[in-house]
Amino acid sequence: MSLFDGRKKDLKDEIESHLRMAAADRVAAGATPEDARRDAMREFGNVPLVADVTRERWGWGWLESLLQDVRFALRQLWKTPGFTVTAILTLALGIGANSAIFTLVNVVLLKNLPVVDPEALVRVGDWADCCQNSGPNTWHDGDYSMFSTDTYEQVKKNTPEFEELAAMQAGFENRPVIVRRDGGKEAAKPRMGEFVSGNYFRMFGLHPATGRLLADTDDVAVAPVVAVMSYATWKDAYNGDNSVVGSTFWMNTKPVTVVGVAPEGFYGDRMSRTPPDFYLPIATMPDEAGGKSFRDPTQNWLDIIGRVKPGTAMGPLQEKLSAQLKRVHATDPAFSAADIAKTHLVLTPGGAGTQSMQKDYASNLKLLMWISGLVLLIACANIANLLLARGMGRKAELSVRAALGAMRGRIVRQLLTESLLLAGIGGAAALAVSYGGARMLLTLAFPGEQHVPISASPSAEVLGFALVVSMLTGVLFGVAPALMESKAPPADALRSGARTTAGGASLLQRGLVVLQAALSVVLLVAAGLFAQSLGKLEHTDMKLESKNRYIVYFSAQTASYKDVEMPALYRTLEERFHAIPGVVKVGISTYTPMEGGDDGYDIQLVGQPNVYRDATNIIVNPEYFDSVGTRVLLGRGITAQDTATSPHVAVVNEDFVRALFKPGENPIGHRFIAGGHLATPYEIVGVVEGTTYTDVRRNGTHPMYFGPLTQPSEEGDADATVVKTSRPMSDMESLARRTLMGINPNLAVQRFETFEAQIAGQFTHERMLATLMTLFGGLALLLATVGLYGVTSYTVARRTSEIGIRMALGAERSGVVAMVMRSALTQTLLGLAVGVPVAFYGVRLVKSQLYEMTTVSPSALAVAVGTLVVAACLAGLIPARRAASVDPARALRAE
Amino acid sequence: MAKSGYQNRIELVQGTLDMLVLKTLQWGEQHGYGISQAICASSNEVLQVETGSLYPALHRLERAGWVSGEWKKSDANQRAKFYRITALGKKQLANDYERWGRMVATIEAIMSAKESAR
Repeated sequence: MSLFDGRKKDLKDEIESHLRMAAADRVAAGATPEDARRDAMREFGNVPLVADVTRERWGWGWLESLLQDVRFALRQLWKTPGFTVTAILTLALGIGANSAIFTLVNVVLLKNLPVVDPEALVRVGDWADCCQNSGPNTWHDGDYSMFSTDTYEQVKKNTPEFEELAAMQAGFENRPVIVRRDGGKEAAKPRMGEFVSGNYFRMFGLHPATGRLLADTDDVAVAPVVAVMSYATWKDAYNGDNSVVGSTFWMNTKPVTVVGVAPEGFYGDRMSRTPPDFYLPIATMPDEAGGKSFRDPTQNWLDIIGRVKPGTAMGPLQEKLSAQLKRVHATDPAFSAADIAKTHLVLTPGGAGTQSMQKDYASNLKLLMWISGLVLLIACANIANLLLARGMGRKAELSVRAALGAMRGRIVRQLLTESLLLAGIGGAAALAVSYGGARMLLTLAFPGEQHVPISASPSAEVLGFALVVSMLTGVLFGVAPALMESKAPPADALRSGARTTAGGASLLQRGLVVLQAALSVVLLVAAGLFAQSLGKLEHTDMKLESKNRYIVYFSAQTASYKDVEMPALYRTLEERFHAIPGVVKVGISTYTPMEGGDDGYDIQLVGQPNVYRDATNIIVNPEYFDSVGTRVLLGRGITAQDTATSPHVAVVNEDFVRALFKPGENPIGHRFIAGGHLATPYEIVGVVEGTTYTDVRRNGTHPMYFGPLTQPSEEGDADATVVKTSRPMSDMESLARRTLMGINPNLAVQRFETFEAQIAGQFTHERMLATLMTLFGGLALLLATVGLYGVTSYTVARRTSEIGIRMALGAERSGVVAMVMRSALTQTLLGLAVGVPVAFYGVRLVKSQLYEMTTVSPSALAVAVGTLVVAACLAGLIPARRAASVDPARALRAE
Repeated sequence: MAKSGYQNRIELVQGTLDMLVLKTLQWGEQHGYGISQAICASSNEVLQVETGSLYPALHRLERAGWVSGEWKKSDANQRAKFYRITALGKKQLANDYERWGRMVATIEAIMSAKESAR
């Protein structure tokens, strides 16, 4: 039972030996053994007291009494399991939800890259551009963040302020490389390959896990092609096999030697859902993978991050780099004098790399932090209420203990121990909730991704945060009421404990319940709005048909197809897929609806030189429109008769017509020029529905034109095959794989998706928000209900004798129920009166994250209010029924 | 022991118990009962050490490292905890004794001065 059992026995033995020796001396002097013993005892004095005082000299008394306190506190908590479980769950959920969100905020928004001295890193550019572009940047007003290979080389040469300046491919995530290990039996697989400058790893100050990292000598066109593998890939895909280093891998059909493995934990130069598996030198980028265009001095495709020398001033450096960029643009005929005047760049801290993901998630995470903060507030109110009620309920107990002579300090210390113990257990449970919660958030945010470099384990900051919050809650609300109560003279408390009529819950307690109700109605309204927003998004008419359609993404470039071979490949694809039983239509295109990307070009109607519009170009085969379910409204679609030698034609969508033609004007037969290609104007031969391609928010305002695969266009090669089948085919993926392999062993399936899954994937963000809002709303409701229940049942318990008297005097049971319910509902209604206006105000702050909703919808409000009222009724009804079942005689006899 | 014996006894002066215990132990190791008997005997039964002071003092001295305790068989073949003075304890004893001497001298000076002034 105690730390000191051994020593205590020792002391007992020591005293016993003293007594025996004293008695023996007395016997020797002639006393009878009984008298001798009694006399020795009398002389010795109070044995337990002497032992106690002696024990205090050991210096461990405080620990001993702490253990006593802890044991006592555990017993007290064990005796009231309802209270204990509620308090711990409340703390766990409130703090856990916060820690989970904070874990992600910490990692996604605040953390630096795991590299040497990240503070010294500077990124050239201040926004995340992707993936390749050229010409004047009009959409960011001349602010450039992505650069050409040529610009990088010049800046590197002319800026000694940088100790090291490295460049990296901005859009590697969209250009997987097809990788197969030489000699192995494994099939070619799409993997992430990022092209980086030779000094990339040196700039970050990294050392290899094994082998070596890239060097400047690797980054020259004539060098043998080498690559560095990421640590995660090395461990996961190759089991940390040391023979990987030095072995040959076939990447996009070219042999590449892996020379080393990047250090553990390094996930590249940006937070990405798909971090690089391989790092390759820029200069050895094959033409087919984009190398040709990337060597074009006008094509921007690189992010630049450098390590500055200590003491470099950012302002002058930024001016200098902007001036250099102006000089580069001055040599490009695409730039007018006005474009060059606007040309500039902004330096930003580069410790976190290129923050493309941060941009996507910042607003969501901030919103979630607010929401979870509100939940924490509700949880704290709940704990406060529970502990207040408990503290006041123990008034009599404390008075008795004080009356029996317990020191006040000791009583307070004991209460403190109990509160801290509760908070500690709650905090520990919160960490478990936090870990689970962060895991859940990651799965919601990045469904199906395994290599996201975000760990769900709480960091030291998060641990500290949870600990401090829980301890504060415990001390503040556990000890304060107890302390106040213990100040009262014991006799007062003992006298007044017997009969109370007005002694219900205090104003503070009722106020806390009102606050909880108000906050939870706000969160419930928010949950309703986000769910409705998601529903609206998902049920928007996207003007397509997704049932029984499968999309197979392939990359002809990575299988080394030449441009002249492409028409034959398309024909083969059509034939081979049609040969599969059950396949009805085979569409081939550069982009598919809801894939998430598009390429826009300037459009000019022939004969109307002053009308410019930006429109998306997609090139398609004849069966494409049928395969995705886009209907032809006017004229015709693309047909097999549109060949390389027939007239240059385009089918446009209804948004295109709306944007470039007057209402009622027939667009058929009109001609337009795209991307400044004056020699090849398009003739409009048909109009199709405005199928959604990137975002339902662009419905009706997204002009598009579709050309035949066989004719010249602004687009590159098609990479998507849409297969429409007559029935659901679960084995479509393996059939597709086999079909491509049958055409060419290097032609791998880069990605396979059902059309439905691709569409759902575009709503991941919204779905995550809606799910979390619903979770938090439910949590808030649960906590508020528990709080109301706690206060109501506390009141009922305190008023038991009063209720007994009322009933003895003839009060009806229904009257008692009504009395209790009235007080519970009053608090809820007060909460609504506060919460509803707050909800109306709050929705204005989150409007930008909602789709087609600008204010609180009546249905969301009704559901929120209804849910809260029902919950309040339930929370009130249980104690009310208990009050009504009070036996008057017993209530009067009690106390 | 006769009741009258109590009347001859005087209270121990505050803070002197440690010194007396250490002094007693200088003659050789001894158990708690032995120490109380020894002090009683060497003071001609004037000083009676209360067990409520003796045992806390022994345990405090042991914690301070001035004495060390060990379980042994006594002369009467009883198991008892014997205390032995340590080197540190001897230094402490010299210190205490020196301070005690100064205190006695000081108090004596005050007391005798008062007498002569009267």
